[in-house]
Amino acid sequence: MAHPQRRPDSSSLAEVLDRVLDKGVVIDVWARISVVGIELLTIEARVVVASVDTFLHYAEEIAKIEQATAEGDLEELEELEVEPRPESSPQSAE
Amino acid sequence: MSNRYVYGVVEGDTVEFETEAVAGADRVYTISHRRLGAVVSDIDTTDPEETDEDAQRHDEVLREIMDDDGGTTVVPMQFGMAFESDRELKNVLRGARPAFRRAMNDIDGTVELGLKLVSEADADIDREAIEAAAADRFEPIADQSVTNDLFSDRLVLNRSYLVAEDERETFDEAVADFEADHDDVIVQYTGPFAPYSFVDVKIGAQQ
Repeated sequence: MAHPQRRPDSSSLAEVLDRVLDKGVVIDVWARISVVGIELLTIEARVVVASVDTFLHYAEEIAKIEQATAEGDLEELEELEVEPRPESSPQSAE
Repeated sequence: MSNRYVYGVVEGDTVEFETEAVAGADRVYTISHRRLGAVVSDIDTTDPEETDEDAQRHDEVLREIMDDDGGTTVVPMQFGMAFESDRELKNVLRGARPAFRRAMNDIDGTVELGLKLVSEADADIDREAIEAAAADRFEPIADQSVTNDLFSDRLVLNRSYLVAEDERETFDEAVADFEADHDDVIVQYTGPFAPYSFVDVKIGAQQ
């Protein structure tokens, strides 16, 4: 072998649980069980959000930003619209 | 079994295979909205019980998706993201499309690797020097990295690295080199994982 290598180990339960239970995309339960009368709110952060409190703080801040930028970005605004019957709404193909 | 358990989101692909899935399901498939697809299995609850077995199955299914069809990029979900039906799922795919696409962009063609450096018992180590050596060696190879909890005094470094598929061998070599140079630290090298630590997206709902 040209150069010694270390192979990563994928079998550690603790390493898997650390990631699967704490990281990855999170979707609020209301967005998962209902489409009627809800408005989706998307929060993207480049920092790791540690707690629900921090999350709610981000949510507030982002909501302000989205309101401020909504007028200038019609495409984004359409993406965030909630329609009562999504599967029957005609969508233009990409 | 009309509820849908979601593993992650793919773009421009439809993934389908038989496997040991969460909550006893034996098949995963894709529910698409335009170019985005959620890889799901059927489940009969929207609040799945958190067991070690199902958490591991969630992770294994994500690995299978990443290996599918010569390599598929997937934005991984946290455990437990079960939807009432296809309708709610498609609504989220539509409503959060820009966020999913940006996350997809960030992690395209990459894997997550974990590295813990633990000092040997009673070793008198220079933590700062080890941290600096690790940064010099690993940061240039990785696209991004994040620090994780230093839950023990002996833990000198605990980081996750986002590494392009074609840089993986280089990273493996860097880990071997680092280990050879540092007798006083134990190197725990884990993965490859779906890039859980690099998709910081939360989707909330206002009623």
